[in-house]
Amino acid sequence: MIRRLSAAAVVCAFAAAVAVHGEAPAQQGNPAKAAGTVLKGRAPVNKDVLKVSLPKAQEADLSNGVHLIVVEDHRAPQVFFQMLVDGAGGYYDPPAMAGLAGFTAALMREGTTTKSSEQVSEVLDRLAAAVAVGAGASSAFATVSGNGLTANLDTVLSLMADVLMNPSFPQAEIDRYKARTKAAFINQRTQPGFLAQERLSQALFGDHPLSRVAPTPAALDALSREALVEFHKAHYVPDRAILAVAGDISLEQAKTKSEAVFGGWQKSGASIAAQTAPASPAAATVSFVARPGSVQTSLRVGTQSLERTNADYDALTVANRVLGGGPTGRLFSHLREEKGYTYGAYSSFNATRVVGSWSASTDVRSEVTDPALTDLLDEIRQMRAVPVPDKELADTKKALVAGFALSLESPNAILNNYIERYIYKLPADYWDTYPSRIEAITAADVQRVASKYWAADRLQVVAVGDQSKVEPALKKLGVVQAFGADGKPIK
Amino acid sequence: MSGSRRVSAFLFAVAVVLVVPIGAADTAIKFTDVKLKNGLRVIVSEDHSAPTFSIAVTYNVGSADEKVRRTGFAHLFEHMMFKGSENVGPGEHFTLVFNNGGNMNGTTNNDRTLYFETLPANQLDLALFLESDRMKSLDITKANLDNQRNAVQEERRLGLDNQPYGNTYERIDEQAYDNPAYKHSVIGSMDDLNAASVDDVATFFKTYYAPNNAVLSIVGDVDTKRTLALIEKYFGPISRQPQPKRPDLAEPPHTAERRSTIEDSLARLPQVDIAWITPPAGTPDFDALDVVSWVLSSGRSARLNQVVVREKQLAVFASANNPDKRGPGLFQVSAQVAPGKSPADVEAALLEEVEKVKTGPIHDWEIDKAHNNGVRQQAAAMTSTLQRAIQLGEYALFYDNPNLVNTRAATYEKVTAADVQRVARKYLTAQNRSVVITLPKTAAAGAPTGGAE
Repeated sequence: MIRRLSAAAVVCAFAAAVAVHGEAPAQQGNPAKAAGTVLKGRAPVNKDVLKVSLPKAQEADLSNGVHLIVVEDHRAPQVFFQMLVDGAGGYYDPPAMAGLAGFTAALMREGTTTKSSEQVSEVLDRLAAAVAVGAGASSAFATVSGNGLTANLDTVLSLMADVLMNPSFPQAEIDRYKARTKAAFINQRTQPGFLAQERLSQALFGDHPLSRVAPTPAALDALSREALVEFHKAHYVPDRAILAVAGDISLEQAKTKSEAVFGGWQKSGASIAAQTAPASPAAATVSFVARPGSVQTSLRVGTQSLERTNADYDALTVANRVLGGGPTGRLFSHLREEKGYTYGAYSSFNATRVVGSWSASTDVRSEVTDPALTDLLDEIRQMRAVPVPDKELADTKKALVAGFALSLESPNAILNNYIERYIYKLPADYWDTYPSRIEAITAADVQRVASKYWAADRLQVVAVGDQSKVEPALKKLGVVQAFGADGKPIK
Repeated sequence: MSGSRRVSAFLFAVAVVLVVPIGAADTAIKFTDVKLKNGLRVIVSEDHSAPTFSIAVTYNVGSADEKVRRTGFAHLFEHMMFKGSENVGPGEHFTLVFNNGGNMNGTTNNDRTLYFETLPANQLDLALFLESDRMKSLDITKANLDNQRNAVQEERRLGLDNQPYGNTYERIDEQAYDNPAYKHSVIGSMDDLNAASVDDVATFFKTYYAPNNAVLSIVGDVDTKRTLALIEKYFGPISRQPQPKRPDLAEPPHTAERRSTIEDSLARLPQVDIAWITPPAGTPDFDALDVVSWVLSSGRSARLNQVVVREKQLAVFASANNPDKRGPGLFQVSAQVAPGKSPADVEAALLEEVEKVKTGPIHDWEIDKAHNNGVRQQAAAMTSTLQRAIQLGEYALFYDNPNLVNTRAATYEKVTAADVQRVARKYLTAQNRSVVITLPKTAAAGAPTGGAE
């Protein structure tokens, strides 16, 4: 929505739900055994899980190799586009230039061979349309996305193609971008969430590309126009691109319009380097990041997760939901509803081609850092030690399967399911069999993956906050490695 | 089940609205708008495109209704609505919704408190049972109050006290308003939250959480006739209460600029916030002020970004915002000062752009942008049953006109360049202005510094 509200204007019962895991239909839930919740069992519940069939995406290949995926939705006169370019994300940054993929993506909007940055913006804003380019710091993909009203499709799509294929990287825009990004570096280090994520990623992945959460200042200083031109030329190729479309458009229309604007985009034929799995951390570690003035401690407990195609993925989905999937997870029930330590406590995971990360997180008032961390670790231990009770398991599986119906309301959610299937080469009927696969997960499966992925000797603990309140709690867990808000070790 | 009973026997008034908005007949949102005998306004809109529905219950109470020294109470109370009622245990409401594949939340702002769920289509009874039971019989205990007081105080720390610039937002409201209704933050002060008593909760519930003080809206894969019958079954028996008085939101005229500087130990760059008192939402001048905010800050081509951020490179970001309020609004312009630049220069540059709106030309493309923004807003609402349910409820409650879901976009088409200049000249004046400058507090030893420097 276009209207924005000031940060303090709207206050909710729960924080906006955290993305539960990379990709499967993301709702949350699970019963509650903690004292915070009581089930009287008098409400009229329909016992049937609604049988729904996933609307089918339509797929085709463009003549230059771009794979096209379309989900039709004619409820509103608008269309959303997403071009995913495999190999153009931060995972493929040159080692000495962590951030180059992100810089390239950010600067593609700042001018093409025929239009200035201002001209691109004016055309799009006049139509209330958008074109954006982004590349996650550790992602394999860059994304060029666009949206607009049906009536303006041709204009938006041709601008999107221009930005994708013909960026000019004007030096003046690069200079402006550098100044702006330096200020962003200052700001991100004021955020406890950023400091926690940076430290956890380092603990999980060391120097591997998956550890990247933001560009480095050194890479920004070294940034040159030549580097951008070269990265764009080598990495933005149609060979490994996907064009995903949702909205008021048919496959035929999408295909015709895409051929018209992306047709001149030439195949490169070059292959990209295969991704490599990071080493596992040698031991559990405990890290502290000093943020003077903090009134809360930001706690994170994380591990490496798994590859997206790993057979444990579904069982870990169920286990994660039992532990920390939303307001009915055990972490929320215990740390918020029973103890009142926090506004929210959740866990989530993602998976990539080689591995991913899992983490539990909560922000608590500084004074209760010790008991909150103890309880958080105890809930993880319980998942390893005790099988999930039958009812809790059944409720969790029902929540996941029934929640699938809700994802059908959003064409973008449906589209994302098909993108995921395509990217990870999952079976053609992957989403059709999703409900039966979830139904088949047993308590033993859940306990096995909890024991495997959340083993005590794998848990990396990170706390951000006020030193005097946090360090005594952390020292009980072992040797504490301390860092400043600048990201550098302090003794 | 009462599905076979005649709906009209239970309804105080029936008005079926079939709407044909200008130029968009095929996408018009159709709905039924009725009132139960106990005063509950009910809006049902069928949409069978996906097997889901959304329900919103909008109560006519917000932080503007709070008493002095009880700030934050409306929102604290919202949390109590999840701690159980006669037939639903503490936490059972959200457990049942999530376990059956749904999503839900509650939210409070200055002017209303809203509860909502989205569920698979076969759980309509569940949603109506849960919402009606707590409207009828909230279970109010000291233990529940203390528990949620803690959660809310952590919410305050998370959103304001532990965030750079968090306390700036409260200072703006405190300084810009004289009327206590909007002078405080929705989440309230720690002292006031500590002072809230069980008696306060009980009184608040009886006063404001009555059927005659709420709108229930349902959008999605439902049958209107059956849905109305179910609503009568679950909500019909709930008693009407004396109609609470809405607070007087009027703001006395301001005679001089207000200004303050605050220090923030968590911030690392200065920030400039300028706010002007403006007319309530839903008035023609408000719509024109929306267009002013879009000229200044919608999209990257907008003037504040183009001039203050890009050309002059004075700020990291610069934006304008015209939030919806039932009473006097606050038009806000904000910018974060770029490293090495001065807040005074940033403030001057922001005000210069505001002056240019008053005196210089408004371009055709800027007016086009505003008109298209209106159409996009309407299209966005079409793709989510929840967005539509919320809009229908709020438009019914705030303006007695749920059909604004179909007509709001067209109101922007009436706004001209002359209107934009007129409202900028009328409201964005020096005497109507309130300025807050936030400065980073000098870092103590060991405090974080910008890692990029």
